[in-house]
Amino acid sequence: MNWKRASIAAATAAPVIGLFAWGLTRDPNNIPSPLPGRQAPAFALAVFSPGQGRLTRPVGDTVRLADLKGKVVVLNFWASWCLACRDEHAALSQMAATYEGKPVQFLGVLYNDVPDKGMAWISEMGGQSYPSVDDPGARVAIDYGLYGVPETFFLDANGRVAYKNTGPVTPGTVRLKVDSLMAAAQSAASVTPSATPSSAPSGAMAKDTSRPSAKAGSAK
Amino acid sequence: MTRLVASNAILVAAAVSALGALLTPIAIHKGRRDWLMLSYAAVYTNFVLVTLATLALVWGLVSHDFSISYVAQVGSRATPTFYTIISLWGALEGSIVFWAWVLGMYAAAVVWFNRHREGNLVPYAAATILMVALFFHILLIGPANPFQPVVPVPFDGPGPNPLLQNHILMAVHPPLLYLGYVGFSVPFAFAVGAMLAGEVANDDWIRLTRRWTLVAWGFLSAAIIAGMWWSYEVLGWGGYWAWDPVENASFIPWLTATAYLHSVMVQERRGMLKLWNLNLMVGTFVLTILGTFLTRSGIISSVHAFTQGTIGYFFLAFIAVVLLAALILVAGNSDKLGSEGRLDAPLSRETAFLVQNLFFTVFMFTVLIGTLFPLVAEAVRGVKVSVGTPFFNRMSVPLMVALLFLMGVGPALPWKKAAGAELKGRVLPGVVVGVLLGVAALLGGARNGYAVLAYVFAGFALGVNAAEFVRGANARVKAHGELWVTALMRLVSANRRRYGGYVAHIGVVLVALGVASSATFKTEQEATLKPGETLTVAGRTVRFKNAWGREEKQRQVIGATMELMSGSRVVGIIEPRMNYYPTQQQPVPTPEVRSMLSGDLYLNLMAFKQDGSNITVKVIWEPLVPWIWFGGLVVCLGAIIGIWPSRERQASRSGSANAAAPPMTEGRA
Amino acid sequence: MTTKKTKWGALAAVGVLVIAFGWLIYGGLDSNVVYFLTPKELLAKGADGYDKPVRLGGQVKPGSVVWDDKALSLRFSVTDGTGEILVHAKGAPPQMFKDGQGVVVEGRYGKDGVFTSTNLMVKHSNEYKAPKQGERPAEMYKSLMKSAGT
Repeated sequence: MNWKRASIAAATAAPVIGLFAWGLTRDPNNIPSPLPGRQAPAFALAVFSPGQGRLTRPVGDTVRLADLKGKVVVLNFWASWCLACRDEHAALSQMAATYEGKPVQFLGVLYNDVPDKGMAWISEMGGQSYPSVDDPGARVAIDYGLYGVPETFFLDANGRVAYKNTGPVTPGTVRLKVDSLMAAAQSAASVTPSATPSSAPSGAMAKDTSRPSAKAGSAK
Repeated sequence: MTRLVASNAILVAAAVSALGALLTPIAIHKGRRDWLMLSYAAVYTNFVLVTLATLALVWGLVSHDFSISYVAQVGSRATPTFYTIISLWGALEGSIVFWAWVLGMYAAAVVWFNRHREGNLVPYAAATILMVALFFHILLIGPANPFQPVVPVPFDGPGPNPLLQNHILMAVHPPLLYLGYVGFSVPFAFAVGAMLAGEVANDDWIRLTRRWTLVAWGFLSAAIIAGMWWSYEVLGWGGYWAWDPVENASFIPWLTATAYLHSVMVQERRGMLKLWNLNLMVGTFVLTILGTFLTRSGIISSVHAFTQGTIGYFFLAFIAVVLLAALILVAGNSDKLGSEGRLDAPLSRETAFLVQNLFFTVFMFTVLIGTLFPLVAEAVRGVKVSVGTPFFNRMSVPLMVALLFLMGVGPALPWKKAAGAELKGRVLPGVVVGVLLGVAALLGGARNGYAVLAYVFAGFALGVNAAEFVRGANARVKAHGELWVTALMRLVSANRRRYGGYVAHIGVVLVALGVASSATFKTEQEATLKPGETLTVAGRTVRFKNAWGREEKQRQVIGATMELMSGSRVVGIIEPRMNYYPTQQQPVPTPEVRSMLSGDLYLNLMAFKQDGSNITVKVIWEPLVPWIWFGGLVVCLGAIIGIWPSRERQASRSGSANAAAPPMTEGRA
Repeated sequence: MTTKKTKWGALAAVGVLVIAFGWLIYGGLDSNVVYFLTPKELLAKGADGYDKPVRLGGQVKPGSVVWDDKALSLRFSVTDGTGEILVHAKGAPPQMFKDGQGVVVEGRYGKDGVFTSTNLMVKHSNEYKAPKQGERPAEMYKSLMKSAGT
């Protein structure tokens, strides 16, 4: 064996393997969204599913983004015909219950679907802890540049889109994003009570780095 | 029950593979050759166990046992039994099972044929192949486990992906591809075995695997052609090759394998290019694994890609191990692989092979770089890009044209040094055919320089390769006074590898003519028609009769009845359709193709009014496209001729001292 | 001596070939890479965005679709919520094409402000879909289903 040559040859493999390793952390089908870092499009939508316990909003109540100022908002677009939405449902419902009483608002938005079907789906899935609103004509979905469902937007306390997740979310992602957004809101509030929007998290946060789960792919 | 049998069989097979692979170096180290029998036995046992698991999965599919996760994922009671069986390779987990089975089969066969050979080459090769098998077993136990329990057991499943159950070619393409891909594990294992055993300086690993390489190459060639055909018949866009990453993944190792088949002859005849050939063979295997990784990990965006969770990381680890081990072994052994001969003259077959190898290598890197570029661009510059057909066409068309030319030059040139007068006689028929085809193309309206050159060189290669048969047969007629047909048969059977190669060349020419013609002379038109209205494309007229709908067991079909006209007479009915599967948002286009010797009339239903009052149909005239599929068959015929054991040689061997050598390990030609 | 010379000669030849090859590939990639952009990003490029191969991703703006089935001409606007671009495509729209649908359009953006499409792809996040009431072909295309007569 000529170990000198062997080690030189082995070294050439490193960048290739590194590239693939990096590539695995990306989703090639993910489409970059121009929204992260920007003010979230406003909306006013009617509740069709009230949610449970203290998170309840009465059916027919109108939810306005402007009214949620000061809260971290988790906006989840879903549909009853969407298979991957089933995967993330339990995670979202549980996380919403965990954050009960904190300045966090979870909100489901029904996409290209009818409220009746949505209600039937929720009861089939064993309930949804947070309220869901209907988006007739997918107007809001278009404002948010939706490509499909599920997609989840995390808005900071100032109403900016901090992060967008394509495909089903995991409890870990939700916790990470919500906790950091709440921490940012609190520190901004304690340092300068009249917080400027520039203190909103951006940079690494404002990136779109999700992957569809194994289940979503295997449904093909 | 079925599920338990299958999953336990895989567990035991993994253990057996690991033990067999570990036992080999220990046995050799301790000088206990009797232990080697145990590692050979591990290869056979592995095959039996994987066969058991595969059969169990097929049984699970056929008996609609939805307690097995794979069956629950791809099975449905409405799917016809035939498509239920072939859905074995319709999704990721099942295809890995099938892969493991093919690998087990190759391993068992190669060990069986070489079981009496002395030395450490075969044991190390068997250990290598067992390691590869172990990797696939780990996939089946971990991230791609098809045998997970499903609770509660569903009554029915969604059925296989509609695109995959819409056409019969889906029964053919994937198994051919796996037989091709996995087949390259055999020469790879022997190359690694030779390096581990310190026998790499002699050519035994090449001689023992010569047929296996050709078998794998033949299957891969057939798979690529079948894949093109499938995409043509099913996807409805009228094309057969889109440089999609999944297509490229099968094409890249084909390029290195084809280069190897040629350059290995230089090593056998002249003792040159040893290190190069080793690189090509090891590279081909690495590229098959890389191709699988790219398409199965979802790392690159593709129409066909399976997006999966963690399996990518397993593949990455495997590629890292294979790549590092291969590079270290090859580079570490490179000292021993000096050249015995030299190039004698610039005009010789060696040189032609050398240039051909250069072009194939450049071709391979072009396709590889184009495929990986989106990944690199995103890593380096953070931009999302895709590399489309224009790049690949611009780079590959000149290469393909040049390779067509070389395909005519190579067979005309003798080894070592060409003599002028003889060369003239061998080249002349090619020049005549080439000029004729070139003129025909110009008269037909071809104005693109590369297109015309493609016709000229295709004709040239056709002439030269065909003339080799005529020349050889004539010589035999003269020498032995045989009938011409007899002489031709004996000529081919006495030198199967050489003439099999020429047959394959002729097949490639047919493919090239089909590709060049459909690229140059394709005409298409799309129109919205009311009943009774006609559309004429390239002189062929179709009339829209009516639209209809039909309910079938597993799908609903909307179709349009189109009449093929000759004057005012109806000479045929063509019915393009759209198939609606309940689990699919989009209908699956189902074009209908009317094939003639001169080309295909390709009809695809694009849209229709809900009441059937009008339809939009695309009609494409695709000249010479059937020649591509026929040419593919001829290429396979060439491979079969090359693989077929030669009777004369078998007879001569039975009398020789080497009587124990099994048929797959015949001596140097 | 001679072997050393030929070795260096061969190395130089390989070097030249590799550089030539790299240059060719670079040139080929540089002019043929297709960028993936949203309407906003394409508009932000200004004059640089004209007449280059682009994959434009966004949603079909509701109410913007004009389909002429005789001329086989399809016009619609693609929007990403912030920007909007008019697209002109030839040929029948895919079956799934509708208002609000996510689409990817391949083509070139002309100086006239119209994006000419060569390939129109409908995006769907997830292939499995339970058919809605009234969306099954048998219900949608009742007259056709009857006409089969079987």
